[in-house]
Amino acid sequence: MESKAGTTETRSNITASDGEQVAALESLQFTDEFHRLILAPTSDNVTSLTALLELPASRALELLHSPASAKLIAAPAPSFEALKGNFLFPSNTTLIDQAARSSVFAGGVNNTNNKSNAPETTSNNSTLNLEKAVKSEPAETESSQPLVSDPAVEKRNFKRKDHEKKAKDSTKKSKTAANDSSVGPEMLPYVHVRARRGEATDSHSLAERARREKINARMKLLQELVPGCNKISGTALVLDEIINHVQSLQNQVEFLSMRLAAVNPRIDFNLNSIFTTESGSLPDNKFPSMVMPLIWPEVQVNGNKQQHQQQWQFDALQQPVWGREVCNNYITPENSLLSYDSSANSATLHANQTENGAMKSEVVPTVRLVERLL
Amino acid sequence: MMNTPQQVKNPSSSLKSRFITRFLGALTKITAEDPISSSSPTRIFQRYRRIKVASNKSMAYSVRSRRIWSRAMLSRFRSRRSAFSGRRSSVKTTNCTTSPPPALIKVTINEKKTAKGGLDMQTDELRELVPGGEAMDVCNLLDETAHYIKCLTTQVQVMRKIVDFYHLSK
Repeated sequence: MESKAGTTETRSNITASDGEQVAALESLQFTDEFHRLILAPTSDNVTSLTALLELPASRALELLHSPASAKLIAAPAPSFEALKGNFLFPSNTTLIDQAARSSVFAGGVNNTNNKSNAPETTSNNSTLNLEKAVKSEPAETESSQPLVSDPAVEKRNFKRKDHEKKAKDSTKKSKTAANDSSVGPEMLPYVHVRARRGEATDSHSLAERARREKINARMKLLQELVPGCNKISGTALVLDEIINHVQSLQNQVEFLSMRLAAVNPRIDFNLNSIFTTESGSLPDNKFPSMVMPLIWPEVQVNGNKQQHQQQWQFDALQQPVWGREVCNNYITPENSLLSYDSSANSATLHANQTENGAMKSEVVPTVRLVERLL
Repeated sequence: MMNTPQQVKNPSSSLKSRFITRFLGALTKITAEDPISSSSPTRIFQRYRRIKVASNKSMAYSVRSRRIWSRAMLSRFRSRRSAFSGRRSSVKTTNCTTSPPPALIKVTINEKKTAKGGLDMQTDELRELVPGGEAMDVCNLLDETAHYIKCLTTQVQVMRKIVDFYHLSK
């Protein structure tokens, strides 16, 4: 029991760091632990997992609401058996009671019920869509293995029956009944699932199904994230779109950093001045863009005029040269950007050259920049 | 321009603001080190590289270790930095933190796109795109991809705003 709980805990902790959804979906593969853990929020071993699972309840909702989702998240019996040797099932009665009383799948449905009554009522009341998978019947063994919680089993079974209109295996029903009868309010370590009609009940296929469902759920999320993916059907095409999107984003980062490299020499990002600048000074910073080029040259007159004139010419010469050279070496869009910046950059160049103007030019643009960015 | 009073946002509250802070700081450093007079194309290219690295680095640091991809990226930075300092290489532009140019990735993969087999090919492509993707299973890979896309979008958004800002303000 400890090892199992420990493993689950480890798993849940790991997944916790990665994301609630991962935790939820991964845990669903181990239905019995999952079942117990999510229903026992006060247990020390499972707090992290339950906390995680509470969050993704909405995710689970989404998942389970999808009509295409099969009996996902079924803990296959053989894999379960494989685990059996390694894991012990918590016989914590408090866990079991809480499991009986609450149901994460119910999405917060009243958790006051317990025992066999609870599942029935909750199953009827709760959103049946939530109860899609969670149970896998051990095909091979029956009472020889430790039993899943009776109320849990009944709950799942009832919900499944209500929700699923497909034919069930009679064997599963009998097994469930046997389990029910043999177990009292104790929570059984197994969670039983119902296979859909025509679906293989093989443990391997159950695991596969669970895995596929997880992946499909994540694909849906990605589809929402990537624009234009909603209309595409088929995993391969959607993945193509996603890949293209990521590539385009990375390219955009490159392009923009190139632009910044071209524009940047004129600007100093003085963060200190940003954060020390009070809001009161902001109205002063609303120089119209026309004014700035005019102001700074005036300041220039007093200062290093020649130097700046040289800079002017230097800029004027360099910009077109940049444009050409850049065009040859780099990406074409940069060419237009550089030439565009030439006139602007020369003005700011002056601003930055002056001592007095430098500080102002730093502060003003950066403050406004930060405003706009945030 | 901005006519509204400055809206003070908690700098540590959002990924975006964290990224902005770091990135602007990095930009300050980069622009400060480069004398304006030596703006030859070579310098621009070097600056471009540094800015790109700074951008990715800022984003990775803003995400900290919460994501596999950010952890992979950060470890990549650190290893490169340690290797770099060890070798004392003068080539500072080798800090290409992103994966090899996407064009290369497309070229190297030529398998046919079947309904099932294509998934393997595409997941491999995705693994190459997302930092640290090689070691992830498909499930995690999709998760990480989603978060990575979100962060990349923020990055692009902020950088574009910076560029536009200086575009317009001049």
